[in-house]
Amino acid sequence: MTNKKVFACKRILIVGATGALGSAIARTLSLQGAELFLAGRDASKLELVASELDATAISIDLSKVDSFDAAIDKISALDGIVYAAGVAPLSPVKYMQEKHFSNCIQINTVSPLLLIRDLLRQKKIKTPASIVLISSLIASRGAAGYCAYAASKGALEASARCMALELASHKIRVNCLAPGMIESQMASEAGEQISEDILQAHMNLYPLGTGYPQDVADAATYLISDQSRWVTGTVLTVDGGYRAK
Amino acid sequence: MGNLDTFLEHFEEAIEDVTPGSTNGATHYMELEVWDSLALLTTIAMLDAEYGVNLSATKLKALPSLKCLYEYVVAEVNK
Repeated sequence: MTNKKVFACKRILIVGATGALGSAIARTLSLQGAELFLAGRDASKLELVASELDATAISIDLSKVDSFDAAIDKISALDGIVYAAGVAPLSPVKYMQEKHFSNCIQINTVSPLLLIRDLLRQKKIKTPASIVLISSLIASRGAAGYCAYAASKGALEASARCMALELASHKIRVNCLAPGMIESQMASEAGEQISEDILQAHMNLYPLGTGYPQDVADAATYLISDQSRWVTGTVLTVDGGYRAK
Repeated sequence: MGNLDTFLEHFEEAIEDVTPGSTNGATHYMELEVWDSLALLTTIAMLDAEYGVNLSATKLKALPSLKCLYEYVVAEVNK
């Protein structure tokens, strides 16, 4: 991707904009001229990123669906949406707790669908437009301890295919992006829980080496841009060759 | 919070392939033949589910015996 202002006059909402992936995507799209609406729960972090990128900060608690309308009122009609918020509870199924599972499904699956529903109802998505949902390699490859996270991402990908068909006639594209383990806060948290040496052993399984948030941001930029105008209902895997093995 | 015996039962239930009654407070559980990354993850998840205690892998590794682990959990529960 170049730094040409290919997103000039384009309004893009990034949900989960304070996380490693969301903020990398925001910075990349901002460099290319996008007008950004940045949504997240941590208001102070959000303000920092928003002021750096001259974007509009929208505080939102994704566990409270009835708060979506108030957040959407602050958003102008959008050319693109990136949903990069997510939680990844780590537990074998034998000790999985309902509260962790429910929260995971809520944040990773239910909230993006209902947010898109509300944006559509309030006519805040232009035509054409592009929606990118951050999924995970875990939706298609098993990993012990991640059954709740895998369920949430698998469901997200299945829903994305349905939405892609429903919205195609409006030229609204819906795609998922499935990264492998990225060097990020989420990876650090996993490392704390499963131990750094095990995480490092996993990281060594990627043929192209370690993946970084910018690698995901570049792929998201492609899916949001008109360069992918004939791409919908698909999952773009960004995993440094992990799945090729 | 139950006693050490109950704790050992919970541990043996979590780590499958451990013969019931084969562990005691002095057992260095990370040296068990069946100990692996999944056992580590399962132990951490069991402590959270059964006792409401969140433990990192780093902290767990600093508690070598089951008695050490039990005493840490008791202290956390009583905080």
